Amino acid sequence: MVSVKFESVSKMLGQSRAVDNLTLDIGAEELFFLLGPSGCGKTTALRLVAGFYTPDNGQILFNGQDQSPVPPHKRNTGMVFQNYALWPHMDVQNNVAYGLKMRRVSEAEKEKRVRHALEIVHMQAYAGRMPNQLSGGQQQRVALARALVIEPDVVLLDEPLSNLDAKLRVEMRTQIKDIHRKIGRTMIYVTHDQAEALSMADRIAVMRRGRLVQVGTPHELYTRPESAFVAAFIGGTNLLRGTLEEVGDLITIKTQAGMVRAKNGAKGLKRGEPVFCSVRPEAVRLRPGGESSGRPESDSTNELIGEVQSMMYLGDNEQYSIRLADSAVVRAVEYNPPTRKTNVGDRLALQFDAQAVVVLPQEELGD
Amino acid sequence: MTSWLRRHDLNPANAMVLIFLWAFFIVFMLYPLGYVFSNAFFTAEGFSLVFMKLMFSSPNNTIILANSVNLGLAVTLFTTLLSLPLALLLVRYNFPGKGLMNGLILIPMVLPPFVGAIGMRQLLARFGSINLLLLEMGVISQPIDWLGGGSFWGVVILEALHLYPIMYLNLAAALANVDPSLEEAAKNMGANSLKLFRTVTFPLMLPGYFAGAIIVFIWAFTDLGTPLVFEYREVVAVQIFNMVTDLHQNPMGYAFVVAVIVLTLFFFYLSKRILGGGRYEMLGRGHVASAMRPASPSMTVIAYAVVLGISALALIPHLGVLLTSVTKRWFLSVLPSEYTFQFYKDVFSHDLTLLSIKNSLFLSSLSTIIDVVLGVTIAYLLARKRVPGRAVLDALAMLPLALPGLVLAFGYVAAFSATPLDARVNPIPLLVIAYAVRRLPYMVRAAYAGFQQTSVVLEEAAINLGASPMKTLYQITMPLIFANLIAGAVLSFSFAMLEVSDSLILASKEQYYPITKAIYALLGRLADGPYIASAMGILGLLLLAGSLFIAGRFFGRRMGELFRA
Repeated sequence: MVSVKFESVSKMLGQSRAVDNLTLDIGAEELFFLLGPSGCGKTTALRLVAGFYTPDNGQILFNGQDQSPVPPHKRNTGMVFQNYALWPHMDVQNNVAYGLKMRRVSEAEKEKRVRHALEIVHMQAYAGRMPNQLSGGQQQRVALARALVIEPDVVLLDEPLSNLDAKLRVEMRTQIKDIHRKIGRTMIYVTHDQAEALSMADRIAVMRRGRLVQVGTPHELYTRPESAFVAAFIGGTNLLRGTLEEVGDLITIKTQAGMVRAKNGAKGLKRGEPVFCSVRPEAVRLRPGGESSGRPESDSTNELIGEVQSMMYLGDNEQYSIRLADSAVVRAVEYNPPTRKTNVGDRLALQFDAQAVVVLPQEELGD
Repeated sequence: MTSWLRRHDLNPANAMVLIFLWAFFIVFMLYPLGYVFSNAFFTAEGFSLVFMKLMFSSPNNTIILANSVNLGLAVTLFTTLLSLPLALLLVRYNFPGKGLMNGLILIPMVLPPFVGAIGMRQLLARFGSINLLLLEMGVISQPIDWLGGGSFWGVVILEALHLYPIMYLNLAAALANVDPSLEEAAKNMGANSLKLFRTVTFPLMLPGYFAGAIIVFIWAFTDLGTPLVFEYREVVAVQIFNMVTDLHQNPMGYAFVVAVIVLTLFFFYLSKRILGGGRYEMLGRGHVASAMRPASPSMTVIAYAVVLGISALALIPHLGVLLTSVTKRWFLSVLPSEYTFQFYKDVFSHDLTLLSIKNSLFLSSLSTIIDVVLGVTIAYLLARKRVPGRAVLDALAMLPLALPGLVLAFGYVAAFSATPLDARVNPIPLLVIAYAVRRLPYMVRAAYAGFQQTSVVLEEAAINLGASPMKTLYQITMPLIFANLIAGAVLSFSFAMLEVSDSLILASKEQYYPITKAIYALLGRLADGPYIASAMGILGLLLLAGSLFIAGRFFGRRMGELFRA
């Protein structure tokens, strides 16, 4: 199987630096995600792998082999395009068989593999249909079958689910993951949907403005973001502004709403520096009674006081927006919401463990 | 240097193709034009304006120039008056039989006007059908001299009746393109129908209008066939035609051609200039209601009356040709007194006509093949590749739209005389190339539209699965733009079959005559000449009608896009 490596790859598109000095190691048989807001260069990176673009600088390596001299049609990558790109003048069967024809696969073998590929995506009943007779989801599956049937070294998926409705999208996530497990091929998957990435990926590379921000497993990215951007982009978080007071085993930060203790992050940060404290909404526990005890239950727990600004009941959880003393707004989620009634304007105590706080350097957010 | 290379898709294959294209345009477009210019401005003693002075100081010559310009303007005006109501009615109203009406409007395009002129001569002669009919009905007591006064109006009417469909296609496309929400906004502000048209709709249509107007103007300004048949000799086109034969003794021919080019460019520039800043970007088409509304019964009657009335008028020349072609005896009567199909038989037995049909088929097929190859290549480079000099290539490919056939043919005769391509020895190569160059813009546009409608992603998908770029072109792109290619090729072929000015000027010997030159030669023969010519004209008409029908089927409503500058 094939590993893919980006080595200091840069690519200008027009005047903009679409991919900027990107270095990435994608392991063989990995389901690897390129995640980022639109315009972050993830699709460009994918097209560099396919060979539709050649790097201005750096190299793309498959198993250590530089791919620059290899034209796109010789790279043996199977790409699933965002709008599927099924050829409207060929039926499903011929669309899927196309790559095999190019590889001069024998007639019998071709038929077998096309049938098998269509079975994998549950489309065997539609072999004779024309693309315009298929729904979006069906077209998506055909596009997937077409990419898989050639047994590519690398499968490239460019926002393959973005044109599907929400329910189908969730369904297809499982299916694609299953297929990946079955065929065991390197897959590079581009998306801007962090939920898709978290739920499917072996590893994720988060990109922003053409640059790599962080690589890691979904769990690493979620629990140990290295920047406020990653913390905010993946899963959503609260970012409390403050100043670093003390660095050590227990980190303390002075915010306008009170002192916050943290056990994570603050790598390379010095005392007195402005920082963000990242706290996930689900890590915040709400306690009634607006008066701070002044001394939280233990050293490793934080307590801040705020006033309920709005609530949203979603059945399995209830989401709160709470305004702190410095008028910053904190979001909190309670699962299995209690029946007790909270009203807008109520004062609550917000508690969260120091373990749940990640201290990050301040930066401007947005794309 | 590396960044320059990187900005363009240049590989050895692309570079070779580009070099070939450039060479083609330089040899067969720029060189002949340059040759004409240098002969007009350089004498043995060097640069001189003596011929220009001669042309503008001789009152005779200035009258000739003025006649041609007036002809062009008058035809443009008449076509506008004919097609504007048609466009308004057919684009904005829905009524039963609208598709049929739409087709009817296009019919006049299927007859070269100089063939129509033959029929017109029959009908409008001193003792022709019209006068006789009016005399019989007692409306007049003396025959009216319709074609008198130098025949200027005869030429104008014939050309206008031939060209208004082109204007209509442009106006209809322009009108359909006006965002209905812009008009709704004006109505919302209180504009009545007339004000609305004057202040919003028409200004927004102007770019489309001028695109059509310039084509009509250039066509009429440089039309050779119609004035020749009407013997209206005081126009530039006829003068140039006459000067081809002695172009080595009389350099005035060059001066006239230069004048035509300069005037053409001037009007071209003017029309672009009036557009001011270019085309308006229409607003996004969110959820705008269609501006099409069902016609009330009275509106339907009006629509039918206008379309049928104009079409009847436009078909008079065709009717004249048709009658002439089946006439056995037609003397001092409104309609022929005896009919025959003899002349159609003659067409296929007569040496001159039979040979000319063979010649035309051969020439047009070859030129169409050249057009398809060049057109697809150029369109592909323009639509899909970043090649150096892209804008220039685009301009060169479109130049023939503004380049009268007359000018090109004259340039060929002059520039290639005493070379292996000399038209007076064997005009076949130059005829093929002239036909091809003249129709190239249609092919490029047809193919370009196809490439534009076909998403690049479909090609990338094929390459990704292992198809080489060549295979992708043949298996994916070509089949997807096939309809456009057919439409473009059919138009190229049929227009080449009935090309007038190139054929009249370039085909020097009878054995090489194409159809149009044979018709012209037949007209000069007394006895059965005009009758056989008419029969041939009708056959040509059927051919062109069939081709336009096929092209229309493939192209649908966007056919107007082909006939724009």
